[in-house]
Amino acid sequence: MKVFLDFCMWFFGGFILFYMLFVIVSYCAMFVIAMLVMRKRYKLDPSEYDDAHTDAFYSKPVSLLVPAYNEEIGVVDTVYSLLNLRYPQTEIIIINDGSTDATLQTVIEHFRMKPVDKIVRTHIPTKQVKQIYESEIYKNCILVDKENGGKADALNVGINVSQYPYFCSIDGDSILDEKSLLRVMKPIILSDGEVIAAGGNIRIANGAKMQLGSVTETHLPNNYLVVMQIIEYARAFLMGRIALSKYNLVLIISGAFSVFSKEWAVEAGGYSTNIIGEDMELVVNIHRLIRKKKEKKRIEFVPDPVCWTEAPQTLGVLRNQRRRWHQGLFESLWKHKTMTLNPKYGLIGLLSFPYFWLVECLGPLVELGGYIYIVVAFFLGEIYYEVAIILLLLFVIYGVIFSIASILFEAWILNTYPKPRELLRMILLTFTEIFWYRPLTLFWRCEGLIRFVLRRSDWGNMKRVGIGEKEKSI
Amino acid sequence: MIELSIPFLLTFSGVLLVVLFLFTIYILVQRKREIRFAEVRDTFLQNSSQHWYNYLINDEIFSIALVPRGRAQVAAIEIIFSSYLKNISNEKVERKIKEFSNLYLKNFYEKDLSSKRWSIRMNALYHIADLQIEDLLETCLQFEKTKISEEEYFQLLKIYSLFQPELFIEKIKESNIHYSESEYRRVFVLLEEDVFIRLFEDFNSWTPNIQFAAIDTAAVKRNMQYIDQLKQLLTHEMPEIQIRALKGLYEIGVIDEVDPYAPFVTSDMWEIRLMVAKIFKHVPLNYTYAYLEQLLQDENWWVRSQAAKTIAENREGIAKLQQFMESSNDPYAIDMARETIVRKRGNK
Repeated sequence: MKVFLDFCMWFFGGFILFYMLFVIVSYCAMFVIAMLVMRKRYKLDPSEYDDAHTDAFYSKPVSLLVPAYNEEIGVVDTVYSLLNLRYPQTEIIIINDGSTDATLQTVIEHFRMKPVDKIVRTHIPTKQVKQIYESEIYKNCILVDKENGGKADALNVGINVSQYPYFCSIDGDSILDEKSLLRVMKPIILSDGEVIAAGGNIRIANGAKMQLGSVTETHLPNNYLVVMQIIEYARAFLMGRIALSKYNLVLIISGAFSVFSKEWAVEAGGYSTNIIGEDMELVVNIHRLIRKKKEKKRIEFVPDPVCWTEAPQTLGVLRNQRRRWHQGLFESLWKHKTMTLNPKYGLIGLLSFPYFWLVECLGPLVELGGYIYIVVAFFLGEIYYEVAIILLLLFVIYGVIFSIASILFEAWILNTYPKPRELLRMILLTFTEIFWYRPLTLFWRCEGLIRFVLRRSDWGNMKRVGIGEKEKSI
Repeated sequence: MIELSIPFLLTFSGVLLVVLFLFTIYILVQRKREIRFAEVRDTFLQNSSQHWYNYLINDEIFSIALVPRGRAQVAAIEIIFSSYLKNISNEKVERKIKEFSNLYLKNFYEKDLSSKRWSIRMNALYHIADLQIEDLLETCLQFEKTKISEEEYFQLLKIYSLFQPELFIEKIKESNIHYSESEYRRVFVLLEEDVFIRLFEDFNSWTPNIQFAAIDTAAVKRNMQYIDQLKQLLTHEMPEIQIRALKGLYEIGVIDEVDPYAPFVTSDMWEIRLMVAKIFKHVPLNYTYAYLEQLLQDENWWVRSQAAKTIAENREGIAKLQQFMESSNDPYAIDMARETIVRKRGNK
């Protein structure tokens, strides 16, 4: 029995150590790439580009799609933030996905929506559209009332109704900075259409002050759970998105704020309605299509256009969100498993998919195993102490050091968290991450994996929580 | 190995933490400097705004207090100048800004051009173009000989287009770098009319991106002198050029004859048919109705939609569409006609 236990402890200890080293090296490489990319732009005056491209002559028109399900409080702010955008040609399409609250009525009353008779082209099959409305105040603002079919279905209706060659999906509880669209469109315009999809940087709005759809002031919230999420977003931004984007390896651009070429999105079949992570699914389908058509096209992540979103403030809501995200990730990876290590898909198959499988998807299992190992090792004593200490140190490097580096780098380059006290508070909080936040999120992500295996999916719609607090400046 | 690893990892983590600690201090110091910089800039802005207004708008005598001392004051002047240039179109103001910049800001930007940091050099190039610092043309030519990025070269092209258009034409001819259409458009709109005409006349010698940008620029200038050349491009072998030429003619909005456009009604490309449907907006309906009726029954939704809109724009358009609905057998075309009528009435 003891021999078997020894073998297990050595095997799992070695495996977890090796895995952690692999992840740390991968993150280090991505961090260095991100630093080099961002460093170049440090202190570059963006107004030159912004000013030039506020003229329709230099840009391309965009349809802004706002899917809304029970967003009666958040949706008005979101639409105002879109009306405030500095962009020459847009249309705003709010899609009410059969809300059971007063979303429809709120939008109708607030923007004086009037029913119109409009023929909709069915590029992508969807649930039935009940009525289309047009705003009497803002001529470029449309409301589509449809049967409930989920976020993906709502977005597909938006694509069908849209008239412009690019569409931008924005969550019904998100707020865009006035220059966000201009900047997320920059790679698309400057590449003459070689870039066919682009996603922006998502930041947490809790603690921010808002007025008529604009973030006027940001403060670090008092809620530790939200601060940990802010740190997590900064780390994901620097250790993933930027580096992957540089080599056209992006598999996820957040559905909360992303722009797609309508032509490509339609050809890729639009958003999939039978999958949780519809945003990732569309990106992967477009990558497939690019390979199939053998065209030189890119999908990019753009660091500076910011989309503000509300982060969960309670453990229950956060648990739901993380479970759902992870289940969605696993589902998409599983659906496209044949792309993994498949040279037919170039670097997407050879690098991106293995990375997402090993680091993003199965990582929580191994890491959680690491935590369990540390606990068991301390009980077993003897030589396992040492393995456990090494593992703990690796967790410190992985959890604490990378987090601090990300916060500092983001603060330096993008001038976020301007108050020194806020910066120091965040740094201090990162030291606690490996003791509570990390294990919790790992556990929830593992739950997501289990739910996928058990084929549980009870999040049919896109109900979100915590939006109603927006105006109160949490 | 494990015994060795623990001290190693401890040292490694410790070193990293120390580095991050130093970085934190650096950021905090940097923040302090930035705050000081912003204070100086804002004070100068506040104190000098009225003087600038008096000098630029009220023609008052130039005060030596306006001359910048240090970077923060240059930053303040950049803000002031940028706001005048963006919001006021006045030759006198532009001339004064140009003169001042050539005299007092030149040295700052000249120094910036030799910076090791790409972003600082780019900012300097932006300002040289925006503030028209012609005295730095020679410095720019020297700068071009150093190892520069494509973005910097593009800014140089923009500067040449402003100060030495001949050189600009020469440079884009010999350049191996291909910029996007949007970038070319940004330069072409800045060109003097005669230089742009020459560039446009030389149409066939350019790469497609330059050709597309030239057509679009001609369209946006809405100048009738480009009509003949755009019409000639309607027979170009590249469909994209044909579409752009049609779009350009639509933008200029002067259509004196229908015949050159009639063959496009039956084009294989729906984009071309769409553009024709749009162009017919500028022609009385009795000359184009037969074509528009054909386009209203087109297989493409966009073409049908545009044809209906074009008909509805006309005074007798609604009546024509109603007549069409009564006589046609095409359900799609009837739907489109009905929607257009409802929309038109709704707008009224």
